[in-house]
Amino acid sequence: MISKTKPAAKLLIQPRPLARQHRYITWLSLSLMSFLALMVLIVYESRWVYPEIQAYFSQTGNLTGQQLATRSRVYLQNTQSELLTDQPEQAAFDAAILNIELAYGLFDVHVYRQEYECAEPNLMILNRVLAQLELRELDRVAAVGELLEPIQCLTHIEMNQLDQRGAAINDFSGSTRQHNQVLTYSSLLIFVMGLVFWSLHERQLRRTDRATQETFEWMQRAMRDPLTGIGNRSALHQDVLAKQHQSLGLILVDIDFFKQYNDAYGHPQGDTLLRQLATLIGETLNDEAQLYRLGGDEFAALLRCSDTDTLKSYCRQLIEGIREANFAHPAHPDKKGVTFSVGGCRFVADEATFAYAYEAADKALYRVKTAGRDGWQVTEDA
Amino acid sequence: MNAVALHRSPWGRARDRLACVLIVLGITLPGTAVAQALNMINGDVTQKVALSDLRARSDTAFTLYDPFQGRDVVMRGVAFRTFLIDQFGEVPPALHFTAWDDYEVTLEGWDDPNWYLISTEDGDPLTIRSRGPVRLVERDYGDRDVENLREFNDWIWMIRSIEAKW
Repeated sequence: MISKTKPAAKLLIQPRPLARQHRYITWLSLSLMSFLALMVLIVYESRWVYPEIQAYFSQTGNLTGQQLATRSRVYLQNTQSELLTDQPEQAAFDAAILNIELAYGLFDVHVYRQEYECAEPNLMILNRVLAQLELRELDRVAAVGELLEPIQCLTHIEMNQLDQRGAAINDFSGSTRQHNQVLTYSSLLIFVMGLVFWSLHERQLRRTDRATQETFEWMQRAMRDPLTGIGNRSALHQDVLAKQHQSLGLILVDIDFFKQYNDAYGHPQGDTLLRQLATLIGETLNDEAQLYRLGGDEFAALLRCSDTDTLKSYCRQLIEGIREANFAHPAHPDKKGVTFSVGGCRFVADEATFAYAYEAADKALYRVKTAGRDGWQVTEDA
Repeated sequence: MNAVALHRSPWGRARDRLACVLIVLGITLPGTAVAQALNMINGDVTQKVALSDLRARSDTAFTLYDPFQGRDVVMRGVAFRTFLIDQFGEVPPALHFTAWDDYEVTLEGWDDPNWYLISTEDGDPLTIRSRGPVRLVERDYGDRDVENLREFNDWIWMIRSIEAKW
């Protein structure tokens, strides 16, 4: 019975197809891209909202923090106070002129001229009042009266500007709400997408692990003899390579007249004998050797061996062990039980030396067979 | 006294003294305009820069759309960064401004050649009525929306004093 290497094992140890690798990378990168997109979205929304809030709600201390119209009106009302207080006329007029000039500067703004009909005529009133005050052509009470209309205009502008600001804030509020919804739903969507991609990535990982595990198991099986459970020829070669530069002993064991045994008992019984002999060889070598089945009735044992005497001792034990076990062999030409022909060789493990060692052990085995079997021979160091 | 003032020429110092006399006269004379000088404050030292002197030093003219006036205006003034170096020896980290309308603000980031201290507009000296006597503007305000005056909050009007904050 010959154990053959399964072709499937060769296929499984090939690298995964490129398409599968590509998909594996894609799920992971898609997942990461989703989370990155989520971050970008949040940062973008924050950057959009913050300046708007600054524009609408953080105006204190800035030029337009308080309405220009309000500040202008306050200066005109200050002017009235200065004119009506009990102070020397010169001081009252100087203060009034300064206040009206300040009021004028704050009132004379393009947007007011453009949007409010009252702005232009009232700026002209202020110009006229200033000129009259500088020339002292206007008394204090009359000047106070002249300022009423500009104050009324400024109040109108203030109210209207407040309404506009309120409307703008409402718009901003609505727009913020809308952005908030967009942010919430899109964040949720992107987050879910990220999770889905991540789970696909995880599934892919699990599949890859499983495939790796299966490959490993196939490789293990490809190195085993399915009948006896010990290694096969490939395993022997691999183990020798794994023990580079170690001093090893290689023992080849051939069952004498095994074909006749099969013919007498049938192949199932022959298989049973093979399993029993594998166990026997292992026990005889004190489980120090690694066993292999190389072909139908040929076993090999690989063990640490520092000198040829030790190797000879192992070979002797094998012959004695099989004799003691006394397996019946009704078709043995010499009327014996099952016997072994054993050939051995000691070598230092290396890819090149193994071939020579195998050949030397086989020659020793051949010498035993030609000498009548049921014995052992060792070739001196290969 | 700052380092730059120490290096002024004799003619410059005489001009400063003349400006101070004019300022004193301006303050005491009834009915004259109140804004005659710009106060430059550096610690305990206050230097009055006569507006006439400032106008004489204004060596840059440019046409700029003034969003507050809604039209192109020919402005003349001095590069603010250069002016600060002349006054304080270097550009202070922050400046505290006080305006004639009592508006006060402290702002940083003046080591920027884009800012100009203007004192003349369309050939006429700025007055309080035209948001002077000096005003800080940006020569290039990029693509900001001129319809939105909030975008020009940093323009400082009616400047009365500038204090260096170290």
